[in-house]
Amino acid sequence: MLGVLKAMATTFSTMMRKPVTIQYPTVHRELPERNKGFPLLLWDFDVDEPFCTGCHACERACPVECMTVTMKDNPLHAEGKSKRRKIVDEFWIDYARCMRCDICVEVCNFEAIAMNNSWAAQELSSYDRGDLVLDLNQLLAQSRAKKIEPWVAP
Amino acid sequence: MIGDNAWLDALVRLLVIVALAAFVVLALTYLERKAVGRIQMRLGPMRTGPYGVLQSVADMIKLLTKEDVRPTTADRWVFELAPFATFVPVFLTLVALPFTDSWGVRVLELGLFYFVAVSALTIIGYIMAGWASDNKYALLGAMRGGAQLISYEVPLVLAVLAVAMVAGSLNLVEVVEAQGRVPIVVWQPLAFFIFVTGGLAEMFRRPFDIPIGESEIVGGPWIEYSGIRWGIIFGFTEYASLFAISVFGALIFLGGWDWPLGRELGWAWQLFLMFIKTSLLIFAFFWIGATFPRLRIDQLMSFCWKILLPMAFAQIFLNGLVLVYEWPDWVLLLTSGAALAATVYLIYAATKATPAHRAALPEAV
Repeated sequence: MLGVLKAMATTFSTMMRKPVTIQYPTVHRELPERNKGFPLLLWDFDVDEPFCTGCHACERACPVECMTVTMKDNPLHAEGKSKRRKIVDEFWIDYARCMRCDICVEVCNFEAIAMNNSWAAQELSSYDRGDLVLDLNQLLAQSRAKKIEPWVAP
Repeated sequence: MIGDNAWLDALVRLLVIVALAAFVVLALTYLERKAVGRIQMRLGPMRTGPYGVLQSVADMIKLLTKEDVRPTTADRWVFELAPFATFVPVFLTLVALPFTDSWGVRVLELGLFYFVAVSALTIIGYIMAGWASDNKYALLGAMRGGAQLISYEVPLVLAVLAVAMVAGSLNLVEVVEAQGRVPIVVWQPLAFFIFVTGGLAEMFRRPFDIPIGESEIVGGPWIEYSGIRWGIIFGFTEYASLFAISVFGALIFLGGWDWPLGRELGWAWQLFLMFIKTSLLIFAFFWIGATFPRLRIDQLMSFCWKILLPMAFAQIFLNGLVLVYEWPDWVLLLTSGAALAATVYLIYAATKATPAHRAALPEAV
């Protein structure tokens, strides 16, 4: 019988506490630094070109084959502004196929690709599957806008 | 009286009470979800309007526009009339409640008796719904509801009768005026306890929602209802009866509009007092409902017949002794308090007792 009063006291004290609800679509919880969203490409602001040289390392390592990369001669190298002889020409990642395994980031020799640790990689629902195949510009956009701080392995 | 026309007067009063009932139902739907949400450390409805205040309006629009499905094997007219048979008695009880010393739709000489008599009629709607739905869960729920309502009606009526003994009247206005100095809950704690328990059971609110238990019999008598009929039952009947019982309890136990200073300060203070006391009771019902899990039907029945009913009789007997020998009022508190303590002990002993088949087993090491 005492338990009845105890239970009532418990529920009352819970009611006085602050609710734990986060109002999701309007309020975003902070994501951890190492959150694995989808991979994106990084922009080299020193030379004003992508870090990626189009070396195919990530494409070969990708277990689900969601990536397509092509390579070209770097015009900035010819002008002597860049040390990269080759540079990425086209790059597609199919986010619908990617399983966010992080292997492409592990194998990249130039730290040119990173896992997106922001909310932009979480809310990608789309009416068309084709919209989830991102091209080079889309993959670079977030980094060029400086809206990502990629986690770098120490 | 408005314009010396009895018909017009009655019409205006009824319209006011209908509007009040509709508003209270909308407000309570929202407030219960908010209160239960906070008890579970959630926010409750937040999206529809500022802080979700329009949630119940959105719910109402949804229920009004939903398809009203009726099973082909259902007994058509009984099925369609059952929601009204549950709602009308609740509305009839609202008609007899005085909200201030001069305002109620109709103040009856036998208001107390009328309230308990009419509120028990709800069960007809439950049985009708259970029978007409042609669904075994509905019938099971209706039967449980019938058993529960009839069982708990008895201690509830006896508790109300104990109040009538102390107040010396069956007229609700006179009952309230008899508590000018001290509300009856002080003299009759046991009757109040029985009233709250019986009231919970009568409204089929948790933890006594056995007839409409979702996880056991998927909604009981209302399993086949949808759309506006379900809305009438759930929105209107549930919350209107909650409101009616809380107003009734505030009137007969908590001093109604009179205590404290109701007669001196006029109708605005009286309305405020009624609002506060009714809200307190309603919150208590929400709170109890959000705290305790559902009981089993046999536990419910044995609790009613073995504990509540004898104690209700004891309360009446003790009141009779005190009133016949004209002992002072505080003896009422003493006897009723002692009986309440005995009730608590009985419940404690009953929950502690080891069932026979388990007592026979060897002690676990």
